[in-house]
Amino acid sequence: MTDVHAPQSESQPGSVAAEGAAGRLPGGAGRPAPSAGWLRWGWRQLTSMRTALVLLFLLALGSIPGSILPQEGTDAGAVQQYYVSHPGLAPWLNRLDLFNVFASPWFAAIYLLLFASLVGCVVPRCFKLVGTARTPPPRAPRNLARLPHSSSYASALPPEAAVARAAEILGGQRFRLRRPDAGGTDYWVSAEKGYLREVGNLLFHLALLGVLLSIAAGGLFGYKADKLLVEGQSFADTTSALDEFHPGRLVSGSDLPPFTMTLNKFTATYIQSGQSLGQPENFNANVSYASSPGAKPGTYNIRINDPLSVDSLKVYLIGHGYAPEFKVTSADGSVTYNAATPFIPASTSTFLSDGVVKAPGAATGTDLGFMGVFVPTAISNNGTLESIFPAADDPAVSLIAYYGNLGLNDGVPQSVYQLDTTRMTKLSAAPHLLTPGQTWTLPNGKGSVTFVGVKQWVSLAITYDPGQVPALVCGMLALAGLLLSFFVRRRRVFVRAVPAASGTGSVVTVGGLTRSDASGGFEEEFTELAAEIAAAEPNAGPNAGPTAEPSNKSEPGA
Amino acid sequence: MPVNLGFATASNDFLIAALLIYSLAVLAFAGNYAFGRPRRKEEAKAAAPAAQLATVGGGSALAGGEPSATAAAPVPPAFPAPRPGAFRAIREAGPWVTAAVSFSALGALVHLAAVVCRGLAVHRAPWGNMYEFITALTCVAAIFFCYVLVRFRAWALGVFVMGAVVIALGLAETLIYTPAGPLVPALQSYWLSIHVTAMTLATGIFFVAAVLGIMYLVAERYRKRVEAGKAKPGNGLIARIPSAAQLDKLTYRTVVFGFPVWTFGVIAGAIWADQAWGRYWGWDPVETWAFITWVIYAAYLHARATAGWRGARAHYIQLLGFASLVTNMLVVQVFITGMHSYAGVSG
Repeated sequence: MTDVHAPQSESQPGSVAAEGAAGRLPGGAGRPAPSAGWLRWGWRQLTSMRTALVLLFLLALGSIPGSILPQEGTDAGAVQQYYVSHPGLAPWLNRLDLFNVFASPWFAAIYLLLFASLVGCVVPRCFKLVGTARTPPPRAPRNLARLPHSSSYASALPPEAAVARAAEILGGQRFRLRRPDAGGTDYWVSAEKGYLREVGNLLFHLALLGVLLSIAAGGLFGYKADKLLVEGQSFADTTSALDEFHPGRLVSGSDLPPFTMTLNKFTATYIQSGQSLGQPENFNANVSYASSPGAKPGTYNIRINDPLSVDSLKVYLIGHGYAPEFKVTSADGSVTYNAATPFIPASTSTFLSDGVVKAPGAATGTDLGFMGVFVPTAISNNGTLESIFPAADDPAVSLIAYYGNLGLNDGVPQSVYQLDTTRMTKLSAAPHLLTPGQTWTLPNGKGSVTFVGVKQWVSLAITYDPGQVPALVCGMLALAGLLLSFFVRRRRVFVRAVPAASGTGSVVTVGGLTRSDASGGFEEEFTELAAEIAAAEPNAGPNAGPTAEPSNKSEPGA
Repeated sequence: MPVNLGFATASNDFLIAALLIYSLAVLAFAGNYAFGRPRRKEEAKAAAPAAQLATVGGGSALAGGEPSATAAAPVPPAFPAPRPGAFRAIREAGPWVTAAVSFSALGALVHLAAVVCRGLAVHRAPWGNMYEFITALTCVAAIFFCYVLVRFRAWALGVFVMGAVVIALGLAETLIYTPAGPLVPALQSYWLSIHVTAMTLATGIFFVAAVLGIMYLVAERYRKRVEAGKAKPGNGLIARIPSAAQLDKLTYRTVVFGFPVWTFGVIAGAIWADQAWGRYWGWDPVETWAFITWVIYAAYLHARATAGWRGARAHYIQLLGFASLVTNMLVVQVFITGMHSYAGVSG
């Protein structure tokens, strides 16, 4: 890795393709680094192939913790859990950004260095490619028989005409040609093809840069929001209505498009029998929406794999659950709570769900709180309430009631899914079971709670990512570049003719060369091409036809 | 739509049959090692006059991998070399090879029938869970290897590649068999066919590349030992596998074939992820490992063009890439919770 004097052509990421160029620059081999050349030395180190390789490894290695440890970006709850289960280790991991690997400075350092290395290598190669495109192929070597592929045949034509005919065929196959200056006694043609290989290689690397920039654009200008919506509820796309809002760095709440949406009905179907009993078959969230207040409303069935597009953003169905409806009446007979309450599924296979109900009383200390377990298809297993099927075929809730101070007026934000029972007393020792329509009259005349019915909720993700289409385009370009650089080969074919020893006609030698035959096949191409050139002779008799000659024995001067 | 039980049963039967036929193929390939004609002897005759050419003809593809082509070396085929037909070459290689290649091809056909029947039984692309995925990818590997067998006369590789196929398929059949059934809603998308097909193809191809890479390391180590005078040339088993240089080239070509397919699979996956989950890339564990695999194979391709990294080192990188692919498939998808937890093998 510290081999500064390695020939440049060997230490550049492009060498796979650069091999195609027959003439290589020797590079700065042996030249002492100028004393003020540290920068240049550093740059050369950075753009060397070894550094690129090391950075590629670091990139792969650095990604691993991101897949093993819980990540803030994908599952913040799991990170909290990790803190609880590993109190000693977690803060250290956090100091190393290991809970947020892909947004960490050290990970950014790796990929930015890698892309700097890439730019430093690719940009000079772009100029070099332009230079190559403007230079004709090299002159034909004197002894074509020395090339990796060669063959020769006897022609009835004089050397000049034989070469002209060969040049015609090569030109017809879109080879780039070079002929000797007129008036010489040297008859040859050089032909080259396959510049697209290097084009593809450069395209691939530049397109990767484009993918990175697209991702950056998405991070700056895009945003992602979450919203939990119960059947029958509506919301408008404003920051206060959203449950979570993750804006890009250059996005503010006022940039949100003003659409509104109502969840009409959510339908989930499950497999009713067999080994996959309870496996979901289909989810369907029927919504009404309007792209702006007063705009013509539309309806849509959002499914998994089928998001709704509205106002350049997309709305995805990412989760669902049950929201049992409760009506709570306080001791004085007034209704203090009447709403569908989203419960969080504890099991995604049976949809046994947990939730709480908070019914503040008229005076401090008269609040009612309930901890509940909801089961969509209830079964009693030795007195324990369990669910045997995820659909709400036979729903039931089991409630524990508390009386006292919920702490809602403390000014401290509370989770709607957790009940703070420190200042409350339990009203009954055992949980109370309710089915839809049933009412539980609480002990000591503290009021009552009615399980009115069941609704469903969905969680929606609302995303806007302006980098998406550019990223896709760049990805496809990268793939196209990859295919070109792998499957196009840069090759040269030379034809030389000398007068035959007999005096009439000539001996024509065809030579071929490729250094980038990764996918193979040049041998076949060359043989076909050589045969075609030989067959184009006007009077190609059986003896004048192609003859196989060992390439190391033919003598051009014969 | 309900599962078609007839096709489901047929698929299971075909798969067992394919496993048996593949085993016979492995036996025949092994038999060729034990009792077949050693290939180096055929080549040795041609080697002497060809040696001088070989130094010049570095680019002459894989000619050395074909005994018949090399045998003709004193007069190199300058014009359309009449390649001996693949079938004749197989016959000439002796009864063991004939049997092995026939069993491999027949097994691949039966295997293909099993995969197709599974698809007909469940009315979808038959790679929706880990069992189906491994069944399909070994089918790709077997078919791709049959092509390599015919194209490059690579009988010597048979016992390794087909052996690995038998082991992978056998483990899938015994450990993670999953009966035919419909898919969860997240997988009900035509992107399943596109994304998972590409990933399956690429995995099958990389599988073959990994076996070739291991053989390269064995052959290269032997070559070095011969050079150092620690081993006799033309010894035993190793004399029967292609030379290190040939294996190196074949490995590279296989990876070059698989890499764009993998790239395409990742892009297709990103498009699908965008449609299903609302983001095209989210560093889900499986996405992360697909990325790691991609980066390591990219490192292999670069290493082959870096002084000091060619040869064995590059092959270690390639094998590391396959190791990360296998980690992704067998460890990450099964044991790490993420959005890709569809394996259906949680027990």
